[in-house]
Amino acid sequence: MSDLIIVGAGPAGLRASIICARNGLSVTVVDEYMKAGGRLLGQLYQEKDGEWWNGLQESERLYEEALSSGVEIKLGLSVIHIENSENAWTVHTNAELLTSSYLLLATGAAEAPQPIDGWTLPGVMSVGAAQVMTTVQRVKPGNAGVIIGISVLGSAIAMELDMAGIHIKSMVLPKKTEFNEEFANPLHVMESLSHISHLAPSKLIQWSSPLLKWKYMRNLSTRFFPKRGFKIWDFPVHLRKAALEIVGESKVEGVKVAAIDINGNPIEGTEEIIEADFVCIAGGLYPLAELAALTGCPFLDAAELGGYVPLHSEKMETPVDRLFVAGNITGIESAKVALAQGEVAAYSILQHATNHENFKEKVNRSVENVQQIRDQAPLSFNPHINEGRKKMQNSWNEWLNEHTKSSHLA
Amino acid sequence: MDRINHHPILGERPKKEAVTFTFDNTTYVGEEGDTVAVALLSNDIRTLRHHEESGSARGIYCNIGHCFECRVTVNDIEGCRACLTVIEDNMKVESGKRLPNPLKQGGSFDE
Amino acid sequence: MILCRCEEVTYETVRATKEKYQCDARELKLRTRAGMGYCGGRVCRPLLDKISQNKNERLESQVIPLKYQPPVRPITFQRMQGDHHG
Repeated sequence: MSDLIIVGAGPAGLRASIICARNGLSVTVVDEYMKAGGRLLGQLYQEKDGEWWNGLQESERLYEEALSSGVEIKLGLSVIHIENSENAWTVHTNAELLTSSYLLLATGAAEAPQPIDGWTLPGVMSVGAAQVMTTVQRVKPGNAGVIIGISVLGSAIAMELDMAGIHIKSMVLPKKTEFNEEFANPLHVMESLSHISHLAPSKLIQWSSPLLKWKYMRNLSTRFFPKRGFKIWDFPVHLRKAALEIVGESKVEGVKVAAIDINGNPIEGTEEIIEADFVCIAGGLYPLAELAALTGCPFLDAAELGGYVPLHSEKMETPVDRLFVAGNITGIESAKVALAQGEVAAYSILQHATNHENFKEKVNRSVENVQQIRDQAPLSFNPHINEGRKKMQNSWNEWLNEHTKSSHLA
Repeated sequence: MDRINHHPILGERPKKEAVTFTFDNTTYVGEEGDTVAVALLSNDIRTLRHHEESGSARGIYCNIGHCFECRVTVNDIEGCRACLTVIEDNMKVESGKRLPNPLKQGGSFDE
Repeated sequence: MILCRCEEVTYETVRATKEKYQCDARELKLRTRAGMGYCGGRVCRPLLDKISQNKNERLESQVIPLKYQPPVRPITFQRMQGDHHG
């Protein structure tokens, strides 16, 4: 039995494991991937100051640091169930049973689906899959590809593919369905792109992006955007084209696209096929909270955070006794925010486990640090993230009020 | 598909030992540390299984163990995710096949 | 258009079932098998959530519409037995 089990060896989980282990807790980290790092592994982009953020290196550094701090890391192990008894967690995996007093869920995010005809063909993959192939595994996902979905995540990864010499023929919007009204709308997409303009070498985008923060300008610029697309990086981005269907017999052969109007509706007679041997679907991320759901933890549905998120305080506590959360399970943000949240969770757990006064101060300071990191984050997946965080804080306070009221009555 | 040997930021790809395995009884060579999925992709194989019922071809989708699209049989163990399984010498990998479906008569689950 | 890749359930089927029976997430799943395949709904769940819910419910609810059931990863009966023996 260990003091703490952490599910997820990404930035949040590893950072928390290091701090807890260095402060005397016995810590076991479990992850089903064979390498530690989670989604951090594939990240590679240039920061505002020109420095490169190399996720592979950061992951290795965290992994080594965790090992040398005495953390036990079990990779290639899938958690299939968790149970909470009076004072212990039982974690069922596909190979063994683990037990602990505290549990930290840092399971990160899964990619949101973006269904389209033909998306089960071999050669169609999530954009995250292509990222891991390219940057971590160093194999080309294909010779010529189309990326469906124009988003912060998709663009950041498209740049990675481009950097590695992979030919991206086109980046287009998805066909409008009832699932993606926002992601299929050129105006909305423009707004989200304006938040990553600093990553674009194109002066046009850098220059125009401050203007895009005003709705009127966005409207205007989308109308004036050339139908043939424009180049943000080395590949053409088509805000006025949508993918209707992925075509191919037994594997991807191309993507049928059509021009769309300002509201995202396809214009008849403009269909064409872009030949490709791979397609990436960029549908964004949603918090992977299945294990939290098994504990009976209440949830909040907040679009700004990426979907259903386990109810938690800014100290990363949940309503479930001895259950903590950190990283993208609490809302989709950059790896740097996840690292900072891992720190908060670690000090919260330490304070809970030891009742030491000095951890209290560290909790408070690390909570402040999260907000600072958030404000400086180079990638913001949702421009309204702060509203989402506020909603969560309100829900938590409500829960706390009700809970303390009822326990007073009892 | 080609390996990415040169990378402007990550540098040269480190040299790895060759690993020999079979996929549906054909022998392939991958590299040490490759997952089954990546080793096969580097041999230009994208189809890892056929859907049990319809027989439609499937390959890598999420590449990190979430979707189970890439599941294959490894050394006679069914349901192994090709994206999470690291190849070993003499490993026997088999694709998922379409299964006979004698009981379904094309009816719907509607009524 | 396929929504549930594991069970090859189409959007058209799920939408028509929802309209016909006005069902909740669980009933929708049981009627169509969408989300009941090998991956445990990890891929198509957000789509099913969206179809099965009315906008107002989304704001009120603190409960995930489609219940999660263990095991959250498929496992053989053999392994499950082994699991209980430690």
